[in-house]
Amino acid sequence: MKTIAKAALVAGLLLGTSLSAHAVERGGTLNYGRYADSLFLEPVLNDANVDIWVLSNLYDTLLLPTDDGKGVQAGLASAWKLADDGLSVTLTLRDGIKFSDGTPITPQDVAWSLKRAAKPDNGEWTFIVGSIGDVTTEGDKTVIVKLKNTDPAILTALTVFNTGIMPQKAFEAAAGTTDAEKAKAFAEHPIGSGPFMLKSWDRGSTMKLVRNPYYWGMGEDGKALPYLDGINFEVIPDDATRILKLNSGELDGAEFIPYSRVDELKSAGNLNMELYPSTRVQYITLNARPQLDGKDNPLSNAKVREAMNYAANKEAIIQIVTHGVGKPMTSYMSSATPLHTGDKPLFPYDLEKAKSLMKEAGFEKGFSTSLLVLAGNQDEIGIATALQQMWGQIGIKLDLQQVDNASRTAQYRAGTFAMREAAWTDDIADPNEITSYFVYSPNIGALHTGWKSEEADKLFETSQKEIDVTKRAADYARIQAIYNAEGPIVPLYETPYPVALSKKVHGFLQIPLGNNIFTKTWLDK
Amino acid sequence: MPLFSYIVRRILQMIPTVVFILIVTFVLIRLLPGDPASAMLGDRARDADVARINASLGLDKPVLVQFFYFVRRIATGDLGDSITLKTPVVQLIAQRLPVTLMLIGMAAVIALLLAVPLAFVAALRREKAADTVIRGTFQVGLSMPVFYIGILLLTVFAANLKWFPVGGYGDTLSSKLYHLFLPALTLALSFAAVLMRNLRTAIIGVINAEYVDFARSKGLRSRVILIRHVLRNALISTITLFGLQIGSLLGGGVITETVFAVPGAGRLMIDSIYGRDYPVLQGLTIALAVLVCLTFLVTDIVQAWLDPRVAR
Repeated sequence: MKTIAKAALVAGLLLGTSLSAHAVERGGTLNYGRYADSLFLEPVLNDANVDIWVLSNLYDTLLLPTDDGKGVQAGLASAWKLADDGLSVTLTLRDGIKFSDGTPITPQDVAWSLKRAAKPDNGEWTFIVGSIGDVTTEGDKTVIVKLKNTDPAILTALTVFNTGIMPQKAFEAAAGTTDAEKAKAFAEHPIGSGPFMLKSWDRGSTMKLVRNPYYWGMGEDGKALPYLDGINFEVIPDDATRILKLNSGELDGAEFIPYSRVDELKSAGNLNMELYPSTRVQYITLNARPQLDGKDNPLSNAKVREAMNYAANKEAIIQIVTHGVGKPMTSYMSSATPLHTGDKPLFPYDLEKAKSLMKEAGFEKGFSTSLLVLAGNQDEIGIATALQQMWGQIGIKLDLQQVDNASRTAQYRAGTFAMREAAWTDDIADPNEITSYFVYSPNIGALHTGWKSEEADKLFETSQKEIDVTKRAADYARIQAIYNAEGPIVPLYETPYPVALSKKVHGFLQIPLGNNIFTKTWLDK
Repeated sequence: MPLFSYIVRRILQMIPTVVFILIVTFVLIRLLPGDPASAMLGDRARDADVARINASLGLDKPVLVQFFYFVRRIATGDLGDSITLKTPVVQLIAQRLPVTLMLIGMAAVIALLLAVPLAFVAALRREKAADTVIRGTFQVGLSMPVFYIGILLLTVFAANLKWFPVGGYGDTLSSKLYHLFLPALTLALSFAAVLMRNLRTAIIGVINAEYVDFARSKGLRSRVILIRHVLRNALISTITLFGLQIGSLLGGGVITETVFAVPGAGRLMIDSIYGRDYPVLQGLTIALAVLVCLTFLVTDIVQAWLDPRVAR
């Protein structure tokens, strides 16, 4: 009996130790290395991922994305209800919520913020909340979002950065006369209701955030979130320096670890090499216009595009460029995007099939074409040189044109490019954004390729108003089937977000949309 | 007096240079494909968004009209607002340029401290072991790419020995100097190599001159001869080289700034080119052009002071 009692005591002690090792600890400042600095900390008028991915730390939204990035959970609103006719959402605000300057968040602030985000011509993101017709308030806790038409993505839209709630009075009191001028002045000293607030910002170098004492979230220990006292974002553009700084302990975390270093950091004893699931897809865009530069364009032939897809050995490219970190695409949208369908890699490598398709298309002897590559980008250059060799085997002579991003965008938007490399990340946990750009021709002409499918266009329009989940999923299954079979892209791979964290960092999350969530992050003392 | 009129003449010569650079920059960046709105909004931009933003920036107007507005603004000391960062260009330059100036200043001091004594040793011990070792070491330093030297110094002195921080920029002056030491050393190594080689050759040329023999025959102490007669005359060509090197570092320190995460003007310049941020690029070019001209002016003045024949 004594032995059993002793064993129980030892087990109890061990269990106690391991539990206490995992109990959250409060305080401390996390130093996080970023590859580039933010540009403009304002939810509605920003344009870039470097802003979007950190904005949710400063500006809270009515609803929040779930950790897998696919669903919604309570944010500033503790309850919400979509009307039976799908034409309005009634949201109930939490009790006692405040902005980071201590002023209460009123339903009027919420209504004003949402209407500003939905105002046509107010920034690049208005389409996300394009269905909002009006926002009204009832009493001191209720907000009613009225829709112009049914919108299956409206709840998800209320988690997106551009619906961040801002203090109307403080914004309107900011210097300037137009909305854009006021936004500039407001963004210098932003007031939001996210878990952190901006303390100082030395552009191009360091951004310091401190905890917002008025944040509504509660931690595991029953006290207010966040656990951290603050975050220092340090801008270190060079990958090697960022990793050196992490290894030396000057950083607690670093984003965008190059794929070539992932294995090495996985085996480092002091680090956790995290690969967070993402919605990022890498692909080649093919101009499908019948004529290009006054000549017949072989890429307009669906069989040629199919042949190029079969001749591109994606597994090899994944090994060469991502060192095995990536995985083949099973649809044009990432597998982390809601309503994604497909479980088999698209166009598995088959050189013989590619050759016979080229013959069928009348291009047995091949042709010459060009690919726009981002100058200095090692991943893109790696992909391009691999494709040059692979497509050479079906007679395609590929001219690699290295240009900077603005030059490439100019050719892309003008529709004068033959092919280009590209990557995409979703901003909303819904397939509608990527589909509106890749597939739906009235938006930007299916990635400026001139490709068009009337059936897919119609299905997309229907799906945008379809609130029956099953019917909408069927619409998307069909859209994906059409585009994946004959669309104007060569899908290459999906990649996760590679983030390296010191072992003392816990509870950090980067969701598939890219948002860096520090709300429940804590540090071992 | 000839020195004074020389300085005035040189300052007047700066004006057309700066104006010329201004026009060239204004035209060249507009010749690049792509526009600020497309660069800012990226691949997802819709035509309407691009047109709206370009119109709000006045970029839909004829280039001549834009140039007129630009000159009118500059005349009032306003360089406009950054398109991507949405802050006044003057403020951005005031934040970033001092960082680069401090970095170059430190690099210049380190380079001089290394180059002058070593050039003397190499020249006085010409073709001996010391000369070979000094020249060989600097040759290696000169042949290695800056980013490689940077990563090497970071790995050894910052990550392993922990004598210095791994890149970044401090808050206080002493912390800034501490952070900037390794990047300054990186720049200084190739800088010093160029100076040392030039100065060594110049010293060898001067040391055998008749006036040095004369000074020696007067019985002057060798330290006085070396500093007053040899160094002063040998420095004349090196000073020109020194000025040119500082000038090229003003715009060319971007690799060092990137490797060491130093938020200087070089990185701002590159970002503004990629982002087609016309106001920042124009403002920064003007500031750098004036600084380069001032550097050359100071170089010429020092040269004229060392060798009065220059000012005549």
